[in-house]
Amino acid sequence: MNSLWGKFLENGRVKECPVYDMHAHMGSFNRIYLPFGDFNPEITKSRLERAGIKMLIFCSHWTLFSPDIGNRANIEVVRQLPDKLRAYCGLNPNYPEIIEKDVEDFEKYRDVFVGFKLLSDYHQKPVSHENYSPAWKYADKKGLIVLLHTWGGSQFDGPEQVRIVAEKYPGAKILMGHSCHGAWDETIQLMKDFPNVYAELCAVVDDRGGLEQIMDACGSKQIVFGTDWPWFNHHYYIGAVIDSGISDQDAHNIFHRNAEKLLEGLI
Amino acid sequence: MEKIEFFDANVFIGRPHNGMFGAVNNSEGLFEEMDKQGISRAIVWHIFQYEGSPVEGNRILAEEISKSDRFYGCWTILPPQTQEIITEDFFKQMKENKIVCLNVFPDWHRFVMDAVTFGDFFQQISERNIPLFLTMGRSCISWDSLYRLMRDFPRLTCVLCDIGIWGVDRYTWPLLEKFENFYLESSQLSLEEGGVEATVKRFGSERIIFGTGFPVRYPKASILQLVHADISQQDKINIASKNLERILKKEKL
Repeated sequence: MNSLWGKFLENGRVKECPVYDMHAHMGSFNRIYLPFGDFNPEITKSRLERAGIKMLIFCSHWTLFSPDIGNRANIEVVRQLPDKLRAYCGLNPNYPEIIEKDVEDFEKYRDVFVGFKLLSDYHQKPVSHENYSPAWKYADKKGLIVLLHTWGGSQFDGPEQVRIVAEKYPGAKILMGHSCHGAWDETIQLMKDFPNVYAELCAVVDDRGGLEQIMDACGSKQIVFGTDWPWFNHHYYIGAVIDSGISDQDAHNIFHRNAEKLLEGLI
Repeated sequence: MEKIEFFDANVFIGRPHNGMFGAVNNSEGLFEEMDKQGISRAIVWHIFQYEGSPVEGNRILAEEISKSDRFYGCWTILPPQTQEIITEDFFKQMKENKIVCLNVFPDWHRFVMDAVTFGDFFQQISERNIPLFLTMGRSCISWDSLYRLMRDFPRLTCVLCDIGIWGVDRYTWPLLEKFENFYLESSQLSLEEGGVEATVKRFGSERIIFGTGFPVRYPKASILQLVHADISQQDKINIASKNLERILKKEKL
């Protein structure tokens, strides 16, 4: 039995095991009611502290779905709660001129951004598309984190596409958001082939089995915790990860140690 | 402070024909899992009721749950007209076999779940306060057909299970508002950030029934969410077990 379970059950958070949520969002959204979608610094802080979330790295829905709003939605939010939040600079390949400008301005917002976020299934251009290349090159050079939405079978961000960018940009730290959901064998192969590629657990632990398979094949050193917050509940996901039967050491890796290494020099 | 006792409303036994991680093939396996998770009682169904034969699945289930008084059963029903399951002594059979609720998989078992098919029967289970468990998780019913069902049988005790990964408050809140015997099972409501809290604030804790979704989902996920939800201890106790106990006490078999 994982000894952290009793502590989380009793207190909801564990001081010696802080949690980094590496895949989150912010803002209300058209297709779903999110009770905590609207950003309020006090409420957000309180929700994060309940589960011992030390830091949450997000990209606003509004950035991803409105080129007119763009990354100011991220900048404004992070600067209201800088102790708890960082953002990914959101990229929409349908507006390459905005990507170029965002990359150009990236250094101005080092207090806000730790890397980039791609949502290719929704933007309908593959992660290897040339319109993303200014950001990929920059991330490769600077060792930034790039969070991809990935899904098994997708022509835009499935395992084949991840392989292309992982080979081309070994300096970027690539998080496979949702771990190429369902294509666990390919996810595992990518993790084995590329030390810069990480599995991220959002949606993986909605069902049992996926995390166990990844852990059996690769161990815990290339896995990070994420929840799509404010979509999904932190305690639910923490309980799910522990219920997969992992050891204390693996839990520490997934909940904070791997994220701390990834974020070194970026926060 | 009163301790939270967990009464799980959403568990199946039996191994699916295409395989499933961690499925348990009998009540002994489930017993072990429940002890590991600290769950005291459960309403159980057998996957063969859905995947194979509802008739034989119901029979296997009754045999399995007879092994422990911690288990109660949920039988699958088919249209009364074919008399495969619903026969004259159906309610007597339920009582004799510790079956406390029913489930139904209309699209998968190929029938229409409406007043034409189930008119008299659904009137009877409404009057007898027998809960009907529906799942949104197995491509069995649409939101339209659920709304139609509740309009046709507004007194029906209905527990909606496996509500989906994406929050569905826009679908479920009108039903909670309109029909007092409509309930939500919690295994995926717990997944939604703030889903339990928002539902309790709007409708009270009496409308949520604890479930884990085992073996598909992780029991510790819904347990940890509920224990640390931003609601009162009494609300947590209601959701964890009291609501289901109250519903079952009203049942007339």
